[in-house]
Amino acid sequence: MKKLLPVLTVILLICVVVILFVSLSKKQNMITIQKGNFQKQPLPIKTGHVNDTQCKMIITDTTHACEVIAPNGNTWFFDDPGCMILWLKDKTFNDKAVMWVKTVDTKKWIAAKKAWYNQTDKTPMHYGFGAREIYKKGYINYEQMRLKMLRGENLTNPRIRKKLLGY
Amino acid sequence: MDIFLSNQVLIFLFSESILYLLSFIAFLGAFSILRKWDFSAHTTAQYNLEKKAFLIVTIIFFTLILKIILLPYFAYTIDKLALLIPGAMCGAGVISANIYGNPLLALKIIILFCVGIWLIINHLDQKAINYPYFKIKFWFYLFIFTLLSIEYGLDIAYFSNISTKDVVQCCSVIFGISGSNTIAFNLTVTMLLVIFYVLYSLTILLSIQKNSLLLFVVSLLFFYIGYQSVVHFFGTYIYQLPTHKCPFCMLQKEYYYVGYFVWSSLFIGVFFGISNFLLKLLIHHEEPTLYRYTIIFNTIFVILCSSYVFVYYIKNGVWL
Repeated sequence: MKKLLPVLTVILLICVVVILFVSLSKKQNMITIQKGNFQKQPLPIKTGHVNDTQCKMIITDTTHACEVIAPNGNTWFFDDPGCMILWLKDKTFNDKAVMWVKTVDTKKWIAAKKAWYNQTDKTPMHYGFGAREIYKKGYINYEQMRLKMLRGENLTNPRIRKKLLGY
Repeated sequence: MDIFLSNQVLIFLFSESILYLLSFIAFLGAFSILRKWDFSAHTTAQYNLEKKAFLIVTIIFFTLILKIILLPYFAYTIDKLALLIPGAMCGAGVISANIYGNPLLALKIIILFCVGIWLIINHLDQKAINYPYFKIKFWFYLFIFTLLSIEYGLDIAYFSNISTKDVVQCCSVIFGISGSNTIAFNLTVTMLLVIFYVLYSLTILLSIQKNSLLLFVVSLLFFYIGYQSVVHFFGTYIYQLPTHKCPFCMLQKEYYYVGYFVWSSLFIGVFFGISNFLLKLLIHHEEPTLYRYTIIFNTIFVILCSSYVFVYYIKNGVWL
C-alpha cells in the first residue's frame, strides 16, 4: 500500500495538469447575448470574449462600449454607440429597451439617454460619437446623436468629417 | 458617509480600531525586545525584557485571536449592509461597491492564514524549554503588523467610500448568469467537479505521505477550485436554483447560515494544508498532527458540499 500511494499521487497530479491544459486550450465560445439580466444593470464585458451584435467585431476595448437590455432581460453588447443605434432602429422593443453607455470622461456606465456625446472621438467603428457624463460645449444629447447616426451624419461621412475635423 | 449610521459598521470599525491600537502597542514592544534580546545574558535588563516579552506575547495572542473572530463578523456586516445599498441583494454587491472591497477581503484572508501560522509558532515556542522560535515569531509579527496596518487603512477607505445612493451590481450580474462561462481555466462544470474531487483526493494522499511542498501547491489550487465549485455548482444546490451563483447569499438566514460552515471548513482545511510547508520555511520544523487536521477539515468541506447535491437528488429525483 505504501508503494502504491506515490504512484497514485503522480497519476492524479497528471490528471489535474491534463484537465487544466485541455480546458485552457479549448476555444472559448463567444458571447453575443446574455439572458436573464432582469435587474437591467450593465453587465461586465470580458474583453476578447464578447461580440458586437451589429458589426460582429470582438469587443477588445470597452472605452466606448454600450449595452442594450430588452424587457425580457436579454442583453446585447456593442463596441460603439453608433452600432447600438443602428441595431436598435428596427427592434420592436425599441422604446422599452434599457440602454447603457460607458462614459469616456468618468469611465462609468450611465443611461445612454442621459449621456452627452462628443462627435469627433476615435470610436471602434469610426462613427465618432463618444459618451460623456459631464456636459461641455459642442456635445450633443442622445436624441441628436441618434438622429445624426440614422441620417448618416457621422465621421464615416466624408462631408461631415471634413466639416468637423477639417480633412 | 451615511454608512456609518449602521450599527454593524460602527461595532466593526470600533473593534478594529481597538485591536489596531493593541497591535500597535505590541509592535512597539516587539521592536524594542528584538533590539535588545539576548537569551544567554543574566542581567536585570534581560530579566525585565523576558517579563515584558510575556506581556507582549499575551497582547499579540489576544489581538490575533480576536482578528480571527472578526472575519466572520466582517462577512456578517457587509451582508447586513445589503439592505442599505440600492441594487445589492447580498454581500457580493456590497463588497464590490468600491475598488477597496475585494482587495480588503483578499487581505483579510491572507492575514487570517498568517495569524494561524503565528499562533502555531507561538504554541511550539511556548512548549519548548528554551524558546527556540522566540525571535522568528516576533519578526513574523512585525510582518503581520505591516499587513494589519494596510488592512486598517483599507477598512477605513472601504467603509467611508460606500455610497447609499449609487446603485451596485447584484450577485447574479457579478458571478455570471445564463449563457456566460466565468469558471476559471475555461473549465466546464463537469470538468470543474472532476478536478475538485481529484484535488481533494490528492490532499488526502499527500497528507498521508507527509509531502509538505506538494501539499502546499495542491492546497492552494484546491482553495481556488473549491471556491469556484461552490459558486458554480454546489451553491446552486444550496439555493436550489440553477441560475443563482453567489458565494455570499449562503451566509444569510434563509440558507441557515450554512455559508459560514462551508467557507470556514475550506479555509481551515487549506490553512492546515499549507501550514507545514510554511513552518518548514520559517522554523525548519513540521507538525505531523497538522496533516491529520487537513484531512479532517477538507473532508468536512467536501461532505458538506456534496451532501446538498445528494439530498436534493434524493428529495426531487432529478439533478439541477
